[in-house]
Amino acid sequence: MTDNKDITTTKEKLPETRRDIPSITPVVDIFENDEEILLHADMPGVAKKDLTVYIDNGTLDITGTRETLKSGAADWEEFDSVEYRRTFSVPQTIDVEKIDAQLKNGVLKLHLPKSEAAKPRIIEIKKAA
Amino acid sequence: MWTRVINRGPGNIDLFRSQLNRLFNEFDNTYTSFGRQAATPPFTNMYDSGDYFTLQAEVPGLTKEDIQIKIQGNYLEISGNRKAERPEGYKAHRIEQQKTAFTRSFTLPTEVNVNSVTAELEDGILILTLPKAEAAKARQIEIH
Repeated sequence: MTDNKDITTTKEKLPETRRDIPSITPVVDIFENDEEILLHADMPGVAKKDLTVYIDNGTLDITGTRETLKSGAADWEEFDSVEYRRTFSVPQTIDVEKIDAQLKNGVLKLHLPKSEAAKPRIIEIKKAA
Repeated sequence: MWTRVINRGPGNIDLFRSQLNRLFNEFDNTYTSFGRQAATPPFTNMYDSGDYFTLQAEVPGLTKEDIQIKIQGNYLEISGNRKAERPEGYKAHRIEQQKTAFTRSFTLPTEVNVNSVTAELEDGILILTLPKAEAAKARQIEIH
């Protein structure tokens, strides 16, 4: 027998243990104009500190967790603590430096500006010499 | 070769067990949502803390001007209208958010003290604190 027990012990090595909360997909509206792509995502109950927007190599990851406040005895419960998670493919032409994210009233508004090179432009036709 | 298989064993069983548990939970969830009357959004939670009730409702994208709350005795009605926030000059690729007016009414387990009800809106969750009416509060009975 070897002493290799990596697979069984990894769980205990994790620095923080996370409760297994269900993961759900937030509903989104996606808009686009010549300047940018605009994404609105419904994430009720998610505070700013619990929201992560991660963009890398053409993949946009939105993750937000919300904890419902339980006080007293539940008469009924229709929503619970969840993790909102959704991944999108975004064009490489997004100007990552200028991405702007706002969270208001449980809705994330994400502005993804297109880089200068990707904006449409009118090509002037030169007169033949 | 064998040792590897043995070492992997417990890990696999754990994985299998956790997935099985998840499956059971999902089944339970489906079952309960079929069992009771299907709720329509906004979804709500209701808690009884002895002296007061707390009602939470998911209302993403609504401002306090968009929400009306009516209370009479033990009848509570929440209505709201989410304004379509369609930015101008944009082409829509995907519209999933519900932008419809809603009304939900509830019969509270007891009457509440209407004058001291408070409502807060936080990160798209409406939180109503509804103190019970004096007559409905629990009281200690002294034995003579």
